[in-house]
Amino acid sequence: MAKAPTQNFDPTKPVNMIELTCDQVDSIYQHMLTKGMPEIMWTVDIQKFTWEEIRDAQKNGKKLIAFGGPVPVTIMRAFDCVPFFLDTIPTRIASMEDLCGRYIDETEKYAPTSMCAIDKAQLGCALKGEFGIKIDAFVHATVPCDSARIAYPMMERLFDCPCFTFDCPFRHDDKGYAYVADQIEAFIPFMEELTGLKWDADRYAKFVEISEESNKAYSILMQLADLRKKDPCVLPGRMLVLNEIIAPLAGTPEVTAMLQTQLEMGNMLADMGMTATKCPEQRYRVCLMQNMLWSNTGIMDWMEKCYGAITVMDGFGYQDGVLFEDMNNWEKMKLQLAKSMLLVPMIHGATGPTEYWLKVIDKMYDEYKVNVSIFMGHVGCKHTWASGKIVTDMIQEKYGIPTLYVDVDAIDPRYKSNDELRAQIGEYMESVVGAENFCK
Amino acid sequence: MSYEKLFENNISSESVKAWKASGKKAIGYVCCHVPTEILIAADIMPVRLRATNCVDSSDAEAWMSSFSCSFARSILQYLMNGTYELDGLVQSDGCMMATRILDNWEHISKKNGKEQFVYQVGAPRITNDTTIAYYKSELQDLADKLGAFSGTKVTDDALKAAIAKTNEIRDLIDQVYDLRREAKVSGTEALNITLAHCDYTVDEYIALLKEFLADAKNRKPIEARARLMIIGSALDNPEYIKVIEEKGGLVVADALCFGAKAFGDKIAVDDADVMGSIAKYYLTRNTCPRSLDNRPAIHKEIVDACKKFDVQGVIYEKMQNCECWGGEAYYLEPDLKAEGIPMLQLEREEHMANAGQLAIRAEAFIEMLDK
Ligand code: SF4
Ligand code: SF4
Repeated sequence: MAKAPTQNFDPTKPVNMIELTCDQVDSIYQHMLTKGMPEIMWTVDIQKFTWEEIRDAQKNGKKLIAFGGPVPVTIMRAFDCVPFFLDTIPTRIASMEDLCGRYIDETEKYAPTSMCAIDKAQLGCALKGEFGIKIDAFVHATVPCDSARIAYPMMERLFDCPCFTFDCPFRHDDKGYAYVADQIEAFIPFMEELTGLKWDADRYAKFVEISEESNKAYSILMQLADLRKKDPCVLPGRMLVLNEIIAPLAGTPEVTAMLQTQLEMGNMLADMGMTATKCPEQRYRVCLMQNMLWSNTGIMDWMEKCYGAITVMDGFGYQDGVLFEDMNNWEKMKLQLAKSMLLVPMIHGATGPTEYWLKVIDKMYDEYKVNVSIFMGHVGCKHTWASGKIVTDMIQEKYGIPTLYVDVDAIDPRYKSNDELRAQIGEYMESVVGAENFCK
Repeated sequence: MSYEKLFENNISSESVKAWKASGKKAIGYVCCHVPTEILIAADIMPVRLRATNCVDSSDAEAWMSSFSCSFARSILQYLMNGTYELDGLVQSDGCMMATRILDNWEHISKKNGKEQFVYQVGAPRITNDTTIAYYKSELQDLADKLGAFSGTKVTDDALKAAIAKTNEIRDLIDQVYDLRREAKVSGTEALNITLAHCDYTVDEYIALLKEFLADAKNRKPIEARARLMIIGSALDNPEYIKVIEEKGGLVVADALCFGAKAFGDKIAVDDADVMGSIAKYYLTRNTCPRSLDNRPAIHKEIVDACKKFDVQGVIYEKMQNCECWGGEAYYLEPDLKAEGIPMLQLEREEHMANAGQLAIRAEAFIEMLDK
């Protein structure tokens, strides 16, 4: 993936966030076209689709629904709406110190600095009124965390549009699934009123069609996850970050196509005994236990290049996807949708009892043959920090792997410099793991 | 019994020891969304956990990290170091920090071979018929489990008897707050009184409150330079308010979960659905910003309390790393401003290491109000 150009906005003037992002993605796209990089165009195609779909929603006669947390996006799409996952703002601008800082600083005028920068960045954009688009509705959940619970009610009032809240249960069990399913039932009239469309047989048929497409995407994602189990790992750590885009795009042919290309490429490389990683040779299989470091995804390339250490999986991106069955049975579909909502990344491990996260991590260490354990702990995610010792003790006891704790801000690049981070990881790799540094 | 016990700042284990010595169970709880009525009905002594005067939470920090809220961390410390010797812990997911007290304690106590009753109540964060029904079923599960643990089945009659007692407490606390309004009880005293609720059985607490009220009614009003309200994160240290009051402010009202918010209005019981009445009451009550749909109502309650208690200024204290009480300023401050009430925002930690700083900020605020 090509790196986004550095900031190109005038800080003294209001920013149009969506327009700016579309322009940036487009310039990367044009750059890659001129440079003739067809083998990686698909990584930008999907970003172009994502942002332009948001920008052009109303122009295309669709309602734009901002959302936060786990919500049933396939139902939104069945009602011909464009879901706009607000977390894509912070993850997109994380590498742009000035823009990211602009929004984070704005939020910190009213909210604690300790709040998660994912929420600070999107809330800051809302506080400044710089989305640059009209939001027709806001749908959010009561999870993932306390930070989101500061941001969502504020954004509800700032957006001043119809809102719907899903209350997510603390425990993810049958009672919890039924509870969310009841709320999905209540969501239908909300969508009907918002769009003026009826949840009739035709709409349901469309919903089934979108769910089938979503199934395709998730089954490819599962195959990609399986592919990452190969030793050596074929796909770079970076791809884990890109694949998170499935959250708002599930059910679109575009995301299915992107994942399919990635899978074909990965399989082809595996067949040829090659990898797309930057490793001279794979020496270590790393698991990042917490969030992705969007503010510095290059760190994974560096670990590959200098230590042969590939991030095979991450605790944030790990997908326990649900494939829908018996789609014409609405009662069953609601339960499956509820389950899929509670199993999405960050929700599956972070929102409920520590036991859930423990299970996710245990599964990853077991299935991905991890031998380097890094708790790259996002400082905003205090509740995962507060479960850290339980989980890392398990890793030590069961797998005999000591864990490196590094505090980072997954979104705010100002928190820790690249040099500092490299020094911390490098020291661990060389003195604890005993790794050779190929870059020296 | 002397009501002086109400003013013992430290956590008292006297009552818990006596209760346990009689062969009964005592269980700790965190957060206002664990209805004590259910524990009382199961003949279990509810002990609301607090961290008052915890000066070193380093053992707990090893488990919860330095990024956790120091109130939550200090409670875990008190569980780990034996300040609390209880039969278990019940908690609702008030905030994620509180939640992790339970996760860690469950893990640590198991590791140490300490048998504990541990249960987490899922408390919804929005209020409507669906969420109340879910919460009711969570409470019913809790009641069944507690009943099995204590050997006393939770019945409707037992719940109603417990409600009668907790309602009596609500009534008595209301009278304490009336005295605050008349400036006959200081904010420091009031927090001591409400904190004592954590340590005593309901019957003991009722007796203490009655004795205190009988005496306090004859007091003369306290002279003060400014009438204040305090709101924000869990505050279980009366010394914090004392520092403010020593500078001439009188804290006449609060929206604290160890203060007024722990009590609230009385529970109205529907005989046909006693557990449903409890669920409805606890979920409808605007205790804190843990919910997503109650912010405007919380703000209104704060503004209304300011009017009722003739408040001149609001102190909004935020525990570091407390997101739950972190984001109220944006909408609350203009609401208060519209009524001519300024707000002072302060950050704090459980251990009051910065009393001098607090005194300076409080004095300047009081000075401004007194002009
Ligand atoms: S990263 Fe953690 S703190 Fe941030 S939104 Fe996700 S769960 Fe919340
Ligand atoms: S002070 Fe705040 S973060 Fe700490 S337990 Fe209370 S609500 Fe949670």
